Amino acid sequence: MTHTIRLNVNGKEHTVEVPSRRLLIDCLRYDLGLTGTKEGCSVGVCGACTVLMDGKPISSCLALALFADGKEIVTVEGLAREDRLDRVQQAFIDYGGFQCGICTPGMVVTAKALLDENPDPTVDEIKEWMMGNLCRCTGYYKIIESIQGATALEPGGE
Amino acid sequence: MSYGKIGQPLGRIEGPAKVTGEAKYTADVLLPGMIWGKVLRSPLPHAKIVSIDTQEAEQMPGILAVLTAKDLPDLLTGRLVYDMPVLAIDRVRFIGEKVAVVAAEDPDMAEDALASIDVEYEEMPAVFDAHEAMKSEAPLLHPDYRSYAHAPQKFFSDIPNVHSHVTWKLGDIDKGFALAKRVFEHTFNTPAVHQGYIEPHASVVAIDPDGRVNVWISNKMPVRARELLADVIEIPEERIVVHLAQIGADFGGKGSLMDAPLCYHLAKRTGRPVKMVMTYTEELMAGNPRHPTSIFLRTGVTEEGQIVARQAKVVFNSGAYAAFKPVPFVNIPGAKDAAGVYGTPHIRIDAYSVYANCVPSGHFRAPGDLQVNFAVESSMDMIAEDLGLDRLEFRKQNLLKDGDWVPGGPQLEEVRVAETLAAAVKASSWNQPKSQPNRGLGLAVSHRLIGTGEANTQLTLEEDGTIQVLTPVPEVGTGAHTILQQIVAETLFLSLDQVRVETASEIFKTDSGSGASRVTYVGGQVVQQAAGELMKLILAAGAKGLGCAENEVVFEGGRVVHSESDGSLSLAEVAKMGGDGKSALRVKKSLNLSEGPPMTTFTAQVVELEVDPETGQIRLLDVVTAHDVGTIINPLGHQGQIEGGLLQGVGFGLIEELRMEDGQVSTLNLGDYKLPNIRDIPPLTTVLVEEELGPAPFHGKAIGESSITPTGAAIANAVYDAVGVRFHDLPITAEKVYWALQQHSGGEG
Ligand code: FES
Ligand code: FES
Repeated sequence: MTHTIRLNVNGKEHTVEVPSRRLLIDCLRYDLGLTGTKEGCSVGVCGACTVLMDGKPISSCLALALFADGKEIVTVEGLAREDRLDRVQQAFIDYGGFQCGICTPGMVVTAKALLDENPDPTVDEIKEWMMGNLCRCTGYYKIIESIQGATALEPGGE
Repeated sequence: MSYGKIGQPLGRIEGPAKVTGEAKYTADVLLPGMIWGKVLRSPLPHAKIVSIDTQEAEQMPGILAVLTAKDLPDLLTGRLVYDMPVLAIDRVRFIGEKVAVVAAEDPDMAEDALASIDVEYEEMPAVFDAHEAMKSEAPLLHPDYRSYAHAPQKFFSDIPNVHSHVTWKLGDIDKGFALAKRVFEHTFNTPAVHQGYIEPHASVVAIDPDGRVNVWISNKMPVRARELLADVIEIPEERIVVHLAQIGADFGGKGSLMDAPLCYHLAKRTGRPVKMVMTYTEELMAGNPRHPTSIFLRTGVTEEGQIVARQAKVVFNSGAYAAFKPVPFVNIPGAKDAAGVYGTPHIRIDAYSVYANCVPSGHFRAPGDLQVNFAVESSMDMIAEDLGLDRLEFRKQNLLKDGDWVPGGPQLEEVRVAETLAAAVKASSWNQPKSQPNRGLGLAVSHRLIGTGEANTQLTLEEDGTIQVLTPVPEVGTGAHTILQQIVAETLFLSLDQVRVETASEIFKTDSGSGASRVTYVGGQVVQQAAGELMKLILAAGAKGLGCAENEVVFEGGRVVHSESDGSLSLAEVAKMGGDGKSALRVKKSLNLSEGPPMTTFTAQVVELEVDPETGQIRLLDVVTAHDVGTIINPLGHQGQIEGGLLQGVGFGLIEELRMEDGQVSTLNLGDYKLPNIRDIPPLTTVLVEEELGPAPFHGKAIGESSITPTGAAIANAVYDAVGVRFHDLPITAEKVYWALQQHSGGEG
């Protein structure tokens, strides 16, 4: 059985036909071609698939596409504006917040949501918030530095 | 010495692509008409395949092909020895082995079809433990292993299921033990652990109408992958193009073909591009984890506390196939470090790689080093205590010195282990009085020889005056491309934006790719040499253009300058003139270093931790990691290697285990197989003991596989110091500590 859903992704309206069991991650990656969002564990543990739904981070590997009907979704592709990176993205480059980069889309999306809610988080608050995002490359030290570094930058992007 | 580009803490050249989601990994490749492949895996550890009925699956909606071994050429594959079928032929040897493959319009349909394939098996006796597999009554997994292509004849063994037995010797082991006053014997075990890269293996194959095979694959050695694929799909290498995508980390685990041959066969059968992406569950049951290892050490020590003999027997559980081991002796190189960082005149190390009915093991960052270091450094503490010696003094007394040999390595020069150890101790609270009960300090030291191999590059002066650097080494996340850019820019006195690093695999015939801490050393040298040669060509062409002799021009401010006449040419102008008036200025270079430099790199770590006696929980209070380093080419990337490796070491020491029962992995998702998360990181102090004497360009050294190695042992030693319980097995989980403390205190409390 298929359904017609309407999604606002990164400010753009989309109407998509999806089967009931279509996951949001597959809808984004394959129906809309937005492959910036990554799939790692597929069970809600690694955070690579994190997107913002109405401003809140969710694991798109666990959500059905139907669940996002009528919602606003922001993916990693929606953080930068034209040529200007969001400050979180810029800080991840400057502070070495990634290596292989596979966790990075989920990391920067989650970190952006954190700074939207708490512009000046402590290290403990950063750890608490980012707990659901795994990174195997960096050991997280530089991810924390990146997020702290971002707070000192002008909010760019949007 | 001060440099312009070398030593800068530079962000990655591929940074903007990675933070915006533009960077394409293999799973992101979308092609018109692309379909999906999924495999059916064996539920049994050892069985004959009596029959496979695929009829029902073939009739299901959306199913385009169902293949079994009967549909494929009768060929085996592997990174070095070819011992593994693409789909099981007549027999399965581990739970998770591929038995059939389905192609469908979407992955859900493929998954549904797998459930209707009917396989009849006849179970065979299985063996799971490597020591059991070495007994005469054990079932043989590969009775014909000697006949496999590239099987290492020199290392064959008569012991059942041992497919490679390697021995390293120094001095005369019997003489060594004759000199010893005390002899100690210890045994340690470490489990299988997964590399934990967040990108599961993915492959895509698309066949052009003219028969050219296009491949995208999560593989760090694209040139080698093309060679291996050519053999197993019987297509000449020239007709295969490996397109390079980003790799969502490797850590040694991404060097095989994985599902690429299946993608090819499905693409050929259906005429459509085929993608296969492993789920993480498949990664955990059928990836290529670090070898479960048992290490037996026999150590001879004189009355004065001098180590005079070390015998080691290291048994690696290879799993059902040796196909994931890339080195020529098809064994695990880290075993050779079983004497640690201690100058030992008489050494004999035997490493056995043994088939058993478990997931095949592969390489994981510092393969074998972690396992063996855990054993060696734990035993150092145990021996010191037994002899009534201080564990630091006992180590100091035995450290390697200039002129000492290490097994499987060179006679060492510039040995800086004492300095490195001293730096770690100094930065820690080692010399302070013990602060509180249940707190302890542990120490461990390791070394790693710098990797050798083959590297290639092609440098071209482009018409716009920039330099294109082509490399067949994909970016696996270590920052290799940024480092190559820095080296070329430094050598040619250019700014970084004048140097572009691009990947290409098809113009190179062979290459070792990324791994074994070799990229900066071998890959760095080859681009440095090529850049030097390109500069000569640029000067020659410039002189010709300026109408003067080559020795009358210099390169200054990005221009070729004739000092006498003040005439000069920009690089773009030189490029337009070309070498002989028409062709581009270009240097293609290959470098094959089979012997490493007479130098190694040391790491010393001190861990301070606290054990909660109620729960067994271990809290890391402080970690100091000290490294013997040369010139650091990119401090940001260098520190990133240290931090990332260290946390993997913490995972190995405290958390990670691919749990198996009778060959069945029970930690089948990342919820059960725990990777360290952001709250597991300890306070970390890094000490760099710098000296500009590394063998890599600009006197750099390797760092990629350093910080991961001693952490497990340092933790185990600290736990002993804290609560007096010695663990011979990793990881040291809270549960294990809790039960050990219960026993230790005679069941009270
Ligand atoms: S892929 Fe969704 S949380 Fe890991
Ligand atoms: S950068 Fe590789 S997993 Fe985070």
